[in-house]
Amino acid sequence: MRGGYLWIASFLLYPIVGAPLLKHSAFRVFRFPTRVVLSGGVGMVLVSWTMTLFALLGLRWGPLVVLVSAAFAFALRLVPGREDNEANETPSPRAAAGEREGSPLAGKNAPAATEGRILAKRAAGGQGEGRFDRATTLVAYALLFLSLLAALAATMAARSTSPDLLLFWGPKAQQFAAARTIDVSFLKAPYLEYVHVYYPPLVTNVFALGAMIAGRFPWGAATLTFPLFLAATAIGIAGLLRTEVDVAPAAAGSSLATSALALAGIHASVAGNAEPFLVFFEILAVALLLSPAAATIGGRLLAGLLLAGAATAKVEGLPFVLAAAVLFVLADRGRSRPVARTLLLLLGPAAVALGSWFAFGKINALFRGYRGYGDVLAVRWDQLSEIATAIGGALWKTGYALPWLVPLAVWVLAGRKKRRVFFPMGVAAALLGFLVFTYLTTESDPRLLIGWSAARTLSPVSALLALAAFASRTSEPGRSAPSRG
Amino acid sequence: MKRAVLLSLLGSAVLAGFSIAALPFSRGLFRAPRTPYDTGDASFAAPAWILLVRAEPLVPRNAYVLVRSEPVDLNLDTYLHRFAVALLPGRQIVPAARWGVASEPKDLEIAEYEVVVGRAPTIPPGRLLLEAPEGTVWRRER
Repeated sequence: MRGGYLWIASFLLYPIVGAPLLKHSAFRVFRFPTRVVLSGGVGMVLVSWTMTLFALLGLRWGPLVVLVSAAFAFALRLVPGREDNEANETPSPRAAAGEREGSPLAGKNAPAATEGRILAKRAAGGQGEGRFDRATTLVAYALLFLSLLAALAATMAARSTSPDLLLFWGPKAQQFAAARTIDVSFLKAPYLEYVHVYYPPLVTNVFALGAMIAGRFPWGAATLTFPLFLAATAIGIAGLLRTEVDVAPAAAGSSLATSALALAGIHASVAGNAEPFLVFFEILAVALLLSPAAATIGGRLLAGLLLAGAATAKVEGLPFVLAAAVLFVLADRGRSRPVARTLLLLLGPAAVALGSWFAFGKINALFRGYRGYGDVLAVRWDQLSEIATAIGGALWKTGYALPWLVPLAVWVLAGRKKRRVFFPMGVAAALLGFLVFTYLTTESDPRLLIGWSAARTLSPVSALLALAAFASRTSEPGRSAPSRG
Repeated sequence: MKRAVLLSLLGSAVLAGFSIAALPFSRGLFRAPRTPYDTGDASFAAPAWILLVRAEPLVPRNAYVLVRSEPVDLNLDTYLHRFAVALLPGRQIVPAARWGVASEPKDLEIAEYEVVVGRAPTIPPGRLLLEAPEGTVWRRER
């Protein structure tokens, strides 16, 4: 039992490792809980990459991994540079005025246009609007808390444990912790082809580091990563949306996304597998790119680091990352200029992290890139309707497809659509397209694969729909730096 | 904006309600589970989990262990091999079946220990080390 507590406590390490970067003034736009969550994400990416690098160099894992990771976080402070510093330290006159009037968007260089809109809305709404905001915020957080509690209860009652924890995530992490490295002999051992040697390393690295600290791999505690990461995702979404709008819509948006992810996760049995990690990185990266923070170099670097987390958490993280980067540039050309620098910031961290993993695989003759479930050129178009039916059936079994239908209904009914919804909706469509393509090229009966994977792998789509519903009711992103959220 | 916020709250309420309804109230929500798989879709793993955890102190490290089902179920045997790799770390796990296909009998001879999930085998494979409702653990005699 003590090992389980220690293992869970090991997750406190990641916000500490990521703190040197998030303490940079470029990120003062985020409130403390949001910075802790984002630091945790950055810390995990850096620690996992350092562990892969150590394995690549033949060095055993130990306390040095943490020190080196923190040193990388310090080094990354150089990237946001003077431009972001100045943007965040020189409040505009209107922002300063707003601060005096108690605007939530005040100070720290709030986008004047957005701020003006909020102030005008407040003046129009008066006291009644304040009461409405307070009440809706309270209800939103209560519903969010209820969903988190349901996810925790389902996990503790052993309702939602993923078989993959026992089949490969856990055994690999346990063995890597014992070997103090990514154990090549284990990955090459006969009869262990089912552990998916090429799966990217973040989840096993993070699990293994916790096991090294705890002295063993605690299976029960590993399942708690589902409610833990769901809570972190909820805090992150609320904090990132808060940089743009008032607390009530931010809380409502986070509540909708979190409730959808909780219901999908409970039914799709994600406790102990990589989905909570993947969703955390993917959804926070998209929420960040939707926020005014994406206008800054620091914001785009942070989004790039979160996307690197997604790319090294699961195979389908890579197409997600590519889609997110390309669609961000296409959807928001104004803030993407210069495009080459934006793409470098968004894709660079993922390229370095995945590049190290593929180099490790090639040098040790383990793998040469990702493997599909069949020949990618042999697309079975004749199976499309059968696959669509099977996906529909799998989603229906996951709470009557409500995790997807409810955010979609909110998006449709939310009113006039803004151009910026193209970004989250486009990323959702790209992810769906990638998964359908995977099923179309599966050699064996795709219905089996869909039955055990579709609801899990499509769970980020539910939160993306919730973000699209949020994006459709806020203004086009400003050109300036964000307010404090 | 007000309508959109209210719609989000309504949607959250529906989703939270269905999340609560998905909890296993009738299967011991407020009782500590014996394994992480007690009440989920993969509950077939629970007996094997219990037996393998109990077998762990009885099987020395580096020993060759065969984990199999009784009566024989090749799909379950495939999973039992994988479960044993997870729950008996440091031991050499001999698969009784892989991908639903039985291993060659000569490949099983190397096993020094045998964990049998299900009923006890009709012909004892060796010395009985543990008997539990979930199965038995044997030290093979040569």
